[in-house]
Amino acid sequence: MTNLPLWIIPLFPLLGTILLGAIAVISSGSKKGPSEGFVGALSVLFPVISFVCVVLLAFGMPEEGIRETLCNWIDIPMLKVDIGFLFDGLSRVMLLFVTGIGSLIALYSIGYMHGDRGFTRFFAYINLFLFSMIVLVLSDSLLLTFLGWEGVGLCSYLLIGFWNHDLNNCKAANKAFIVNRVGDIGFLLGMLCLATLGGSAILNYEALNKFVEMLIAGGHVELAAPILMIAGLLFFVGCTGKSAQIPLLTWLPDAMAGPTPVSALIHAATMVTSGVYLLARLSRMFVLVPEVLLVILIVGMLTAFWAAVAGLFQNDIKKVLAYSTISQLGYMFMAAGASAFDASIFHVFTHAFFKAALFLGAGAVIHSLAGEQDMRRMGGLIKKTPVTACVMIFAFLAIIGFPGFAGFWSKDLILERLYTNAPFGEFFYFAGLLTAVITAVYMGRLIIMTFFGEYRGSKESEEHIHEAPASMLVPMVILAFGAVFAGYLWADSMGIKFFANTLAPVVGEAQSYSLGAAIHHVNALTFACFGTAAALLGMIIAYVVYGRARIPQISAKESSAPVGSKADWTFFFDYIHEIFITITKAAAFIADMVVDKILQAIQWTVGSIAEIVGDGVSTFQVRKVRVQLTLSLLGVAALVAVVLLTGGLF
Amino acid sequence: MELQPIYIQILALVIFTIGLIVALSRRNIFFVLMGIELALNAVNLSFVGFAKTLPADMSVAGQIFPLFLIAVAAAEACVGLALVILIFRNRESVDSDNYSNMKG
Repeated sequence: MTNLPLWIIPLFPLLGTILLGAIAVISSGSKKGPSEGFVGALSVLFPVISFVCVVLLAFGMPEEGIRETLCNWIDIPMLKVDIGFLFDGLSRVMLLFVTGIGSLIALYSIGYMHGDRGFTRFFAYINLFLFSMIVLVLSDSLLLTFLGWEGVGLCSYLLIGFWNHDLNNCKAANKAFIVNRVGDIGFLLGMLCLATLGGSAILNYEALNKFVEMLIAGGHVELAAPILMIAGLLFFVGCTGKSAQIPLLTWLPDAMAGPTPVSALIHAATMVTSGVYLLARLSRMFVLVPEVLLVILIVGMLTAFWAAVAGLFQNDIKKVLAYSTISQLGYMFMAAGASAFDASIFHVFTHAFFKAALFLGAGAVIHSLAGEQDMRRMGGLIKKTPVTACVMIFAFLAIIGFPGFAGFWSKDLILERLYTNAPFGEFFYFAGLLTAVITAVYMGRLIIMTFFGEYRGSKESEEHIHEAPASMLVPMVILAFGAVFAGYLWADSMGIKFFANTLAPVVGEAQSYSLGAAIHHVNALTFACFGTAAALLGMIIAYVVYGRARIPQISAKESSAPVGSKADWTFFFDYIHEIFITITKAAAFIADMVVDKILQAIQWTVGSIAEIVGDGVSTFQVRKVRVQLTLSLLGVAALVAVVLLTGGLF
Repeated sequence: MELQPIYIQILALVIFTIGLIVALSRRNIFFVLMGIELALNAVNLSFVGFAKTLPADMSVAGQIFPLFLIAVAAAEACVGLALVILIFRNRESVDSDNYSNMKG
């Protein structure tokens, strides 16, 4: 079954979008709405079919991947772009978990969104998101990737603001969209930069790789390096927007305003990792400019560390997870910056499982507490919702890198690569290790505050706490299995390198170019020991600080923000953005004064002069035909005289 | 003494000026038309005069062209007179100063 066409993968979610969208529009008039079972079945069916196609293709994929050009998209002078798909080691991994986790979360959403007015609309958006995401990772050119990139941004906007009767949700959606726009400009300009270097054909990944090979073979890397550096930085700006890195990270914590399955699917597992995907996809280009890689490394480190610290102070369970996502994305960028692209994609892969499990678990908790998100009003839930608690704890062990769990393998791999590959490797290694400790602390705090101790909510709400329905539990359990076992696809210290081998055709050459032969071998076990020690240390700190401390009961009115700050406070980056916004507004004000007022004044002056002259001249328009004829003849004579005297100059 | 081309041009200019002055100064619409015809024929004369200055094989065009112009002017005169008659029926006047509808 390897002769499946590639376009069949994005086709099914697109069909789902159209069908569900049509159902949503048709049924918008009726009060009852369409049957939830029917809609839910449809909305899970399409991603599942897509997933099955991906699996079939994945098993029959030849080593060098499958290429398929569907049709011509743009054909104008200087720009010829085809709609083409590329199914290789990288897109295989991405597609497997995008469609797989997408299907699971669609299933979960049936339970979570039960009884919501926008049930059908929600699933139409989810399918549209999956379509865009598949296009993003499956396309063979930057331009088509950009289409998917914009598509997922749109779906993110639609789904964050899904409950649009609340103005705050709409604001959060706008924020996500606008902040992403800043990054998208970077992406666009990066493409333009590349096009100025090698023409529009270079936007195709394969052509780009060939171009890079040519540069290396011809020894012209030095010549192209400045433009490549600018292009690399611009692409990285695009990645920081989509993947919520410093400085464009403030939208992700606010994006938690959306329904929890959306947070799990879009803002944890798939969309936010597309920045990492892009880095891996363009790895051949990035390794030519080590300066950009260093920038990525530093930004990744700062983001990982800062978001982990910020996560310590959050009280909203979803906000903790949002900061944790940012922090983990920082790890991935660190890995990419150390030109360990395969390790970063591996972390994307494992992170997708455990973070989705954490988010779905948080969703189940919120569901069972009827919408309560503040961890200070939770506690002791392990007795009421044991399955959810187990899932969350497994995922927790995975994210802190407890030995044997998925995060252990990927995070230790990243730390090891940081130590061996990166410039100033020791420094970045210890920064990563420190972040790992903090990760364990804030995640431990989340688990302790949510599941252990006494229940701190009101008495009457305690009786209503119930375990989530089966349609929510099944995906959570599957993801928890993933969180435990996904790491064994690349268990370096056990000698399993399956994952590395699948990615080798895509990123292998880039990595070997970047590193050369000078890799000093180290004992992987040492790193594993250090990583384990970091995780254990963090857990102990969390237990000592939060396990015994009495968490004060709070009134229902208080906001979930850290103590002493505004409700929508996302640490100090909002203020930095505020400065930029103020500067832009000032520039806009000046432009408004100049363009609108001064230019308009000139325009009015010219207009009134013309009017006055016209009024004066109109007195010549007398009633006599002969006089007018005479005047016009005189005018002709004057014109002729002028032409003759000036020699016909004008 | 041979006829100098400049005299022809001067004559044409004089006739043209007379025609123009008649067209502009007379109020009677028929005189205006006649003035215009006069100016037109002065131009014809100018054509022939200039044609005379050229060698024989090239001057033919300058001599043929006035013939065309005469034909066209005849047609134009027809139309002009028809218009005048229509305006006269409408206005009961041949005074061109009465033909204005403008308010200014």
